[in-house]
Amino acid sequence: MQECVQTRHVPIRNKVFKKASVLNKASIINYVVALLIILTMNFFIPRLMPGDPLQAIYGNEALLVMTPELQEELTHRFSLDRPLGEQYASYLLSLCRGDLGHSYYYNAPVLKVISGFLPWTLLLTGLALVISTLVGFFLGVESGSRRGRPLDQVLLGSIMLFSGFPDFFMGIMLLLFFGVFLSLVPLSGALTPYAGHSGLMLVADLLHHLALPLAALVLVRLTATYLLTRSTMITTLGEAFILTAKAKGCPERIIRYRHAGRNTLLPVVTAAGLQFAHLVTGTLFVEIVFSYPGLGSLLYKSLLTRDYPLMAGILLVLTVVVLTINLLLDVFYSKLDPRVAKCT
Amino acid sequence: MLTIKNLKASYNGLQILKDINLNLEKGQVLSVIGESGTGKTTLGRAVMGLLEGRCTGEILFKGKNLLTCPEEERRRIRGREIAMVFQNVEDGLHPLYSILYQVMEAVLIHGLTDKKAAEKRACEVLELVGLDNRRSLAYPHQLSGGEKQRALIALAVVNNPDILILDEPTASLDALTKAEIIAVLRRITREKASLVITHDISTAADLSTHMAVLYGGRIVELGATGDMLTGPRHAYTRGLLRSYPNMTTTKDLQGIPGRMSHHVEGCPFHPRCTQRIRICSAEAPLPAVEGNRLIACHRGGIVPLLEVRCSKSFGPLKVLQDVECILHEGETLALIGESGSGKTTLAKTVMGLLKADEEEIRLEGKKVTRRTIDFYKRIQMIFQNPGESISHRMNVLQTVKEPLDIHKTGNEEEKLERVRQVLNEVELPGDDAFLKKYPHHLSGGEAQRVAIARALVLNPKVLIADESTSALDASVQAKILKLMMNLQEKRGLSIMFITHDLALAKKISDRLAVLLKGRIVEEGPTSEIIYHPLHPYTRALIDYAPLLEDRSARPAGSRWARRTHSGTCGNSLQAAPRLKRPPSATSTGCPYANRCLAVKDRCLEERPELIACSPRKVACFYPPVDYKIQSN
Ligand SMILES: Nc1ncnc2c1ncn2[C@@H]1O[C@H](COP(=O)(O)OP(=O)(O)OP(=O)(O)O)[C@@H](O)[C@H]1O
Ligand code: SF4
Ligand SMILES: [Mg+2]
Repeated sequence: MQECVQTRHVPIRNKVFKKASVLNKASIINYVVALLIILTMNFFIPRLMPGDPLQAIYGNEALLVMTPELQEELTHRFSLDRPLGEQYASYLLSLCRGDLGHSYYYNAPVLKVISGFLPWTLLLTGLALVISTLVGFFLGVESGSRRGRPLDQVLLGSIMLFSGFPDFFMGIMLLLFFGVFLSLVPLSGALTPYAGHSGLMLVADLLHHLALPLAALVLVRLTATYLLTRSTMITTLGEAFILTAKAKGCPERIIRYRHAGRNTLLPVVTAAGLQFAHLVTGTLFVEIVFSYPGLGSLLYKSLLTRDYPLMAGILLVLTVVVLTINLLLDVFYSKLDPRVAKCT
Repeated sequence: MLTIKNLKASYNGLQILKDINLNLEKGQVLSVIGESGTGKTTLGRAVMGLLEGRCTGEILFKGKNLLTCPEEERRRIRGREIAMVFQNVEDGLHPLYSILYQVMEAVLIHGLTDKKAAEKRACEVLELVGLDNRRSLAYPHQLSGGEKQRALIALAVVNNPDILILDEPTASLDALTKAEIIAVLRRITREKASLVITHDISTAADLSTHMAVLYGGRIVELGATGDMLTGPRHAYTRGLLRSYPNMTTTKDLQGIPGRMSHHVEGCPFHPRCTQRIRICSAEAPLPAVEGNRLIACHRGGIVPLLEVRCSKSFGPLKVLQDVECILHEGETLALIGESGSGKTTLAKTVMGLLKADEEEIRLEGKKVTRRTIDFYKRIQMIFQNPGESISHRMNVLQTVKEPLDIHKTGNEEEKLERVRQVLNEVELPGDDAFLKKYPHHLSGGEAQRVAIARALVLNPKVLIADESTSALDASVQAKILKLMMNLQEKRGLSIMFITHDLALAKKISDRLAVLLKGRIVEEGPTSEIIYHPLHPYTRALIDYAPLLEDRSARPAGSRWARRTHSGTCGNSLQAAPRLKRPPSATSTGCPYANRCLAVKDRCLEERPELIACSPRKVACFYPPVDYKIQSN
């Protein structure tokens, strides 16, 4: 017996520590379908509106300043003189080429305009998502495993306090207090203009600007994750496998994280995916409050200037971002839960 | 290795365990049985230190009191020196980790070895419990219930703990899986001290060396498993065994009346006990050694209600020769024998209707010298022929009411009420028309039931029923027997059931005594005797007991061997050996010698005494070989 265990050794090791990571096909197809539906809506809505589609696409004011030649060219570009099917095909083709249209306000291709602003938004939402989930999870685990004890009560009370605030309101409060009142942080922007920082200084400057908008988002988002984690922890800690873990002699910390926490992570990840769209809209508002140079501010400006192609482009890009993040979270989830990974 | 002293445990002020004292040595497997909610799991968890409630007392492990140990130290003992497999198999394993990982973790957590050695050890143990490579890499949702149970066992034994606690290790498994798991557990528990918590008595029987019966948070009986199963001594243990459906005992599924409660003063069992006395509700009995048992009962366990020893002869004919039998409380003793073996004589002698040559009769421990009126209040008889019990000059009402008149119980109205009630119990109408009938207006079955009603009307403690249902048709007989069994369950009625019908005896009796020519030749638990008869006469009786199956399909001569599930004792039924003298009825030897196929010279010259061959007694020189070994 000793020997046969020895010989089996190597394959077992590899198998145990290699995680199955194939996301099942069905869920990828779901994402593709969702994307197609959104693109289709984006295509049809301006064309189904009463009046000239070009007018619907570009807005009244834009058409006023438009020369007949330009109008000719645009009609041609959108194949507006062709049947609907061909229009759709050329729309999809141009999307594939990365052509989201032309912003007449910036007088540049929409994609190019957006790509200047997108990274800031991604930075802000990405960090907000990760930090709010991690911190919310950590606090939830600690709080849930101390149910009814002082730490739990203090955390629960104070976090419930934030849970009612809208993001922008939280942003305004923080801005007034830390920015205006204490003058601890800059009031706007993402970097100090013309400071010419580089390296670490640049990062510090960046964080300095990021701190308040990020804090506003995290504080508000945190509550949902925290409450979900806490309640899931409480039920999980009553499960039979926790008793088994205790009977093994696992220390408290390992039970809390490796056993109960690991299980609690599943609904938290799911919820993070569902909440992400909310987080993105929150970010848009917060960016406006802090004049942060992201898509929120851009969207605001395009609204003021009625730059419709830009607006449509931004919304499309945001949709794609939301879908992509959800896809990534799905992949992550299937790594977390063997029951999902195995049922392909 | 593990000693539990005065352990008490309570949840929110409700005391569940009350004064548990146990001792567990290496190599011992102690099963703790008892009905749901008695606190079996609570006991296991208390030893693990994973109780949600409070506990006091002492749990000594290797000389250390675990209850006063700091939590960190207890944690280090848990899983390494004392391990437990919990009751709930379905969610006992973490759903997100592979089995192998979970077993490995149990090793790694105690920091005993490195990862590689831990993995090797985990593989070994998984192999030991019967989970191969493929299944040990699986996740819990990919395993069946039995496999999960194996994984949980592996997880508990991977650190080779000194003490293993198994809580319902075989619950909800099918019979074959259960057998496999039991085989695995037997191998594992050999070197340890184990506590097997179960309500499944067959698991306890298979696994354990000792057995403790827990009731209402107290240990009511404790002893070696084999002894406990064949001869339960506490009323609760007997009830528990009777309730358990199985292939061995005969009177299963009988049950115990009432429900368990934790709010009971005195003996926890007293609200359900049929032999309680005044002190039972006031004081909890302390466990005391009684023979090979530890019993907590004020009456020392099930009391012998009727002890009989008598001889009787009619002129030169010895009808009863030193017949000895004991009838316990709440028990049915079937007295079996062919006609003329002296069954009715025995009954009549006990009742004082015949004068014995020599007798010693004790009722509830007190020697009976005169049959007083009180004697007949406690003990009643139903005769073979209803004409013997009821007078043709009395109508039904008078017949049934007469004992009440004699014992002067209550006024006329109450008596009438009681008569109606008891008639109802034996499924006879209680209306006035029926009450006015005379015996010659009744059918045989009705007359017999009137006789039974008359016997039961005083609520006797002992009932001697002499062929009292043989005149009835089978369906009425079934009803009457059920009635008797119900009375036994409810009130602890002891029944001496005299019959020549072995099939009937098998269904309703706890013990069997086989009477042959005025002597008891075999006596013991019914199931033992039916499945492994030792006396050739008993075998012959069994051989000719009624069967409901197609006899033509069976090869001749194989009948008995098939029925007893054992071909090994058939040797004595082979052709009769050569004898010095032809056997005759008047011989001084064994009363069965003239018919016995296994007869030898000695049987003709000497009479075999009734000797103990645990758990029974048999009077035969040459019982089947395989039983000789057991008898010493
Ligand atoms: N955590 C708890 N809090 C309060 N009461 C409890 C708790 N756990 C068990 N009890 C009570 O303690 C009593 C004994 O429970 P226990 O689990 O020990 O029974 P058991 O003998 O194992 O029964 P079963 O055969 O059904 O498993 C029951 O009355 C139960 O209601
Ligand atoms: S006789 Fe008394 S002490 Fe014994 S089991 Fe019955 S109630 Fe308990
Ligand atoms: Mg239990």
